[in-house]
Amino acid sequence: MTDGPLIVQSDKTLLLDVDHALSTECRRAIAPFAELERSPEHIHTYRLTNLGLWNARAAGHDAEQVIDTLIKYSRFAVPHSLLVDVAETMSRYGRLRLEADPVHGLILVTTDTGVLEEVIRAKKIAPLLGVRIDKETIAVHPSQRGQIKQSLLRLGWPAEDFAGYVDGQAHDIALKEDGWKIRQYQEHAAEGFWHGGSGVVVLPCGAGKTIVGAAAMAHAKATTLILVTNTIAARQWRDELLKRTTLTEEEIGEYSGAKKEIRPVTIATYQVMTKKKNGVYAHLDLFDTHDWGLIIYDEVHLLPAPIFRFTADIQSRRRLGLTATLVREDGMEGEVFSLIGPKRFDVPWKEIESQGYIAPAECIEVRVNLTEAERLSYATAEPEERYRYCATTRTKRNVVEELVAHHSGEQVLVIGQYIDQLDDLSETLGVPLIKGDTPQKERERLFAAFRTGEITCLVVSKVANFSIDLPEATIAIQVSGAFGSRQEEAQRLGRILRPKSDGRTAKFYSVVSRDTIDQDFAQNRQRFLAEQGYSYRIIDADDVFQGKF
Amino acid sequence: MHNNGYRWQVMEIRSFADYLRGLDDAALISIFTYRPDLVTPVPPDIASLAVRASSAPSLARAVDALNKWQLQVLEVCVILEEPFTEKEVAALTEKSALFLIPGLIERGLLYSDNDGLRTPTTLKDVLGNEISALGPSSMGKLKLKKLDEAPAASKKVLDAMVWGPPRGTIGDIKKPGAGVQWLLEEGFLIPFNQQTVVLPKEVAIYLRGNKVHRECETTQPAVTGDKRDQRNVQLAAIANIATFLRWTEEILNFWAQEPASALRSGGLGVRDLKEISLHLGVDENCAAFVAEISYLAGLLTIDPDDRILPTHQFDIWLTQSSSMRWQILASAWYSSSRLSGLVGKEGSKNVAPLGPELDRSNAASTRRLTLSLLRENLNIAPHFDSIFSAALWISPSKRSGGLHKDYILWTLREAEWLGMTGQGAISPYAIEFLEGNDVTAIDSDLPKSVDHILIQSDNTAIAPGPLEHEVAQELALIADVESRGGATVFRFSEGSIRRGLDHGRTGDEITKFLTKTSKTPMPQPLEYLIADVAKKHGKLRVGNTASFIRCEDSTLITQILGDKRLEILGLRKIAPEVLICGHDAAEAMNILRSCGYLPAGEDSRGLLLSGPRIQRAQTKARPPRIIGEFDRLNQNDIENALRALRTGEKSSRKQSTMRNIATEALGSLPRTTANETLDLLSDYLQNQPNKSLSIGYADNNGLVSHRIIDPLKLSAGSLIARDHATGEVQTFRIARITGVAAL
Repeated sequence: MTDGPLIVQSDKTLLLDVDHALSTECRRAIAPFAELERSPEHIHTYRLTNLGLWNARAAGHDAEQVIDTLIKYSRFAVPHSLLVDVAETMSRYGRLRLEADPVHGLILVTTDTGVLEEVIRAKKIAPLLGVRIDKETIAVHPSQRGQIKQSLLRLGWPAEDFAGYVDGQAHDIALKEDGWKIRQYQEHAAEGFWHGGSGVVVLPCGAGKTIVGAAAMAHAKATTLILVTNTIAARQWRDELLKRTTLTEEEIGEYSGAKKEIRPVTIATYQVMTKKKNGVYAHLDLFDTHDWGLIIYDEVHLLPAPIFRFTADIQSRRRLGLTATLVREDGMEGEVFSLIGPKRFDVPWKEIESQGYIAPAECIEVRVNLTEAERLSYATAEPEERYRYCATTRTKRNVVEELVAHHSGEQVLVIGQYIDQLDDLSETLGVPLIKGDTPQKERERLFAAFRTGEITCLVVSKVANFSIDLPEATIAIQVSGAFGSRQEEAQRLGRILRPKSDGRTAKFYSVVSRDTIDQDFAQNRQRFLAEQGYSYRIIDADDVFQGKF
Repeated sequence: MHNNGYRWQVMEIRSFADYLRGLDDAALISIFTYRPDLVTPVPPDIASLAVRASSAPSLARAVDALNKWQLQVLEVCVILEEPFTEKEVAALTEKSALFLIPGLIERGLLYSDNDGLRTPTTLKDVLGNEISALGPSSMGKLKLKKLDEAPAASKKVLDAMVWGPPRGTIGDIKKPGAGVQWLLEEGFLIPFNQQTVVLPKEVAIYLRGNKVHRECETTQPAVTGDKRDQRNVQLAAIANIATFLRWTEEILNFWAQEPASALRSGGLGVRDLKEISLHLGVDENCAAFVAEISYLAGLLTIDPDDRILPTHQFDIWLTQSSSMRWQILASAWYSSSRLSGLVGKEGSKNVAPLGPELDRSNAASTRRLTLSLLRENLNIAPHFDSIFSAALWISPSKRSGGLHKDYILWTLREAEWLGMTGQGAISPYAIEFLEGNDVTAIDSDLPKSVDHILIQSDNTAIAPGPLEHEVAQELALIADVESRGGATVFRFSEGSIRRGLDHGRTGDEITKFLTKTSKTPMPQPLEYLIADVAKKHGKLRVGNTASFIRCEDSTLITQILGDKRLEILGLRKIAPEVLICGHDAAEAMNILRSCGYLPAGEDSRGLLLSGPRIQRAQTKARPPRIIGEFDRLNQNDIENALRALRTGEKSSRKQSTMRNIATEALGSLPRTTANETLDLLSDYLQNQPNKSLSIGYADNNGLVSHRIIDPLKLSAGSLIARDHATGEVQTFRIARITGVAAL
């Protein structure tokens, strides 16, 4: 019996004891084939999935290496059946290959005719195939490259893709490291992506995903299409690229509701891409108008369905997905991986925090008691109105007021879901509000003022959930949210994670009504962050009023 | 059987009996050692011993114990004309056969008289017709040399028939082809019927080059396989053992909470099997195996009300050391005649685990054989084909279908599950076990059990090793298991905490228990979660008799009354804090819970109900008994048997003399010993077939009555005869006939 840091469970989860001396070494060793699921304070959970094992094969690791690693670090004897399973799963990879062919375009080649016979008989695969060339080869419609890879993956016979990527139109891009340096993990992430061809990089909010994007562009040295969530984010990307790379203003275009520029590097919003004109997606052509060498999907967890579908058709272009929180309440994580590409880089938030690249944060749940009258009307409210009712109770307003007063002098964001509530708060606190119908100019002005410290407090709706860069914000107060959305909670915390100049700890308050559905949703919302090791502290509203926190 | 044959057999048995009488103690002891069934129970005298030893079932058992080479030699012995000599045997096989003959004699499969070697007659039937695909003897003398000059067409016929089957079909015996014609004329083929000819065994043996078998398989084929590192084998085996013990515990705990119900035809239903296989996270074959082993070990039983429940023995088992627990399971498996592999076997009808259809008589022997082969090949994970052919050599007999491929396959699979093997090679624990030693090494090699958990802020707790029993039980009450294996991951949720409260824990108790058990500080959100649930829990109390809902919180009452989802309960407010409902309490609670409330049960005196969580069967464990094989006897038993036999032999002679005197004196009912009865009966049947006889016949109660009969036939230990009293044909058992006399 060794005394390793890893416990291999029979359900294929791996438990890593982070307090163990070998934990860092072990984490590096298992990262190529195991997927990080949770990283709370003591024991991190990884999982062996088929996809993960196949990705490891694609990256050049063989089953023997994987098995050796498991045995080497395992605390207890590893169940033999699990090892057999790993070896068998990994041996399924590479029996089928997608290759470029001068005559037929794209072909599916096999070393095992039995497997080929099996897959060409599958209902989902048959329509994607062309003529049978010989016993071991069959033609594939080039436009179906993504589709067929996805379907083969589901059948359990993943195809190794040797067809390569189009280089796209060359365009010289390089990082301009004057007065700053790319961080090690950013470089690893960019390299991980480049060697894998396509894929998703997961980094916490505020850890500099834009730089990973820029580094990827510097690798590709080709024209790039960047898809972002909204116009503000588009401008931030542009500013950042100007600052970090050799690109000039003339080379970067914005493709949004307001402007329709197509330049060597074009930044488009999801909104404009999915806008329908006479029932068709008029702007999806953008993917084809240019010979892009790289497509970057920012906040890939928000990828809208039409873009999903379209992405399947552009498998020959390199794709990079960026996100902090790859959890979708609709369970579409798997689709993201198969269309954009597998996870190429993932690191626990707390790890980046310990390196000082994101601010340490404290999460506090403030529980308020409903008054007797409020409770009665909550009890009798229609089910669909319940959450709105308890999330927007007046009692919360007093607590928010108190919290803002307590943190006067710091940069405070008050974030909520319901506009009525936000209007009310903005009025009470006497601070500006940014919501959906705030004009773009006004938004930018307010954000700029907040950044300079001219304004110290802002009330924002969900428009500021992501991609808004507010480096000096240290306090966020959440009053209501989109029900139990885990990623929203994490993204909101992300707004205050930029490292502070004085190394201050950020504080994230979530104001919740006690004994209501609000509390239940809060519990679900906190799960993602709890799994990343953020421990919530629960305090009572009375403590806030007495200054005891 | 023909009368002649029968008489002949009786004579033969007599000569065999004489042979046995002539044996010294050592020789008899060796026969009993090889054939324990001969002295179970001890026969009254040597004559009975001879009858039993030449009976088909006993001979078949003895033949089953032979290996391929021994069987080949025995086959040759049976083929030879009696009496025969050792030389003749060696001539038809090879020289080394001479070494085997004493062994066959020791087993009582060969015996010698003054003329030479003989075999018990029934042995021919036991070995089957056409031994080694040889036909009957030729009637006349053959000039075998002429075969060498056989015409080409005849040669072709011979080539087709030489290795069997010895019968050939032709169009018409009256118009045979040229090849067959010549053979018939020369007597090298015997006409059998209109369309069939037979090749006499002399011809076949001559053509086989004066041999019987294509090849003398004198040695066991080697077992080949993948080499395994001893250390890895041990590690893999211990992982398997740990897993199997965990499976057993989990399956039984699962049924303690939700007992499965047995099918009417006996056994576990498909749905219940699916449920446990899902619960364990293994396939159905494996789940069925775990259930079967628990059943065999008496850890679970089927109650008279058809519920499948753990027994009290399970509680005892739980308190034992790991090695003891494993040994109990392992020996239940090792000696069982049940085959759980039959469950869900493809292409056959559905056989239920724990059901009545799993017994197979050669299951245990196949298992023993497989394990002994594994043991002879240390640190090797045998390839299936090689272990199968080795097993086939050791146990070539075809009785009851012979050695079954599946049985060996299942044994290997089950041995791995149980940890008898690790990575397919035999484990050191299995070796100790097979030697009959206590496998205490398991206790030190298994991971040490831990008594603490690590609670994390995402509301999970991790036990970084096997948990101590009490802690595990308590945790299972208040948390859901999320992942199993060397460690266990528990998750706390509102539902799981509620379950703890439902079973009588208070919020404070839970918090205290966790604080005590956790090595890491208790995260505040969990503390709040427990406090919140505890605070809400029991606010609602639901009664069964009156079916009422009461709550001190009138807001909540209002909320419930206003809850549209609860309309089906037909609630009516009877006091500011009490509601009554039309449904019984259990149903009402379920509906309330499903709508997100947290009611607690209450009895009519206002006491909070907290039922016991685990259940045990009321009846004693009745593990299925083992059928089939006779165990090898120890030396003591054998010697005792021998002494009893010798005494019986003496007294039986004395008795028969005494009886004769008594009969003559009384002159009433005829009195003869069983052997005399047989002799007399066969004699009358043969020589005076129409003569009526007087017999004494014992009924079920031992009362002897006098019958007058016309004997018709002797068969299988019975006499078929017409009874004068009733005029009907009746069967009389020879053993019950107290005596025969002519009228």
